[in-house]
Amino acid sequence: MATTATLTLTSADIAGDPVNVSKTTTCTKAGGTIDLDQSTGMNRIILRESTNKLLLGATAGGNDLSAKVYLINKATDPTQFVTVTINAQTIGKLYAGDWMFLPWSQTDTSADIEVAATSYTTAGGSIPIEYCLFHEDSIRLADA
Amino acid sequence: MPTTNATIGLSSDITDNSLSISNSSTLYKAGSDTSGVDTMTSVTKVLSSTNQVDLITTGSVSTTHAYVYINNPSTDSTEFFKIHIGNAGGGSASDTEEIGRLYGGDWMWFPWDVDDDITITPSVATDMTVEYQVFS
Repeated sequence: MATTATLTLTSADIAGDPVNVSKTTTCTKAGGTIDLDQSTGMNRIILRESTNKLLLGATAGGNDLSAKVYLINKATDPTQFVTVTINAQTIGKLYAGDWMFLPWSQTDTSADIEVAATSYTTAGGSIPIEYCLFHEDSIRLADA
Repeated sequence: MPTTNATIGLSSDITDNSLSISNSSTLYKAGSDTSGVDTMTSVTKVLSSTNQVDLITTGSVSTTHAYVYINNPSTDSTEFFKIHIGNAGGGSASDTEEIGRLYGGDWMWFPWDVDDDITITPSVATDMTVEYQVFS
């Protein structure tokens, strides 16, 4: 069971010489070569509020383990962006079409990943995002 | 206007029905779809202590929206960098939030709002190399 992520960065004209970076990582459990074996699968949600919403809740069991987060803003209006935070610390703004791929430490249960459709207006329309988590911690399910 | 593209190919067979994603984005300045990023910084550093240090400071970028690529090129899967964001330079390590750990071979890509510094903490003091690029 393997999960691989490949980044390709290209530009013919941002510098005097072309930029062409390609890097593939196989997502493994922390500190070893065993593949990650759990996933949330792909999710799609529609954001219609400018306040922070919980996207992924950190778990104490995830601390020191491996987790990878993929998140993309599927809006098409270039002015529509989503602000991404971890434990209320802003990471950055995902504008329409932008994506991110991060390792996620879950250093404590406050290290939630939250998103806010900061630019949302009724006139501008809702902002769809898609995300997926690959992880190794086994206690992501809340007790029934 | 320079044109810079960032593409991800993500595949996984963890689930019974495999996942395959491919998305490409053109890197624009904040809120634009006509004005592409026009500045790039590309750095390779060797770190020789386990101290938390600044990797990319807000003062190194003149905009409020940037894209960051960080790579751990090590082939040792036990060696990692802790990547934090916060105000390490103006306070203590506790003023930063750990985003995640980049183990040997791992990379990360994210938009950065240039409000706080990005810091790095190697797991060992034996010459760990980190590579990064910033587009703004």
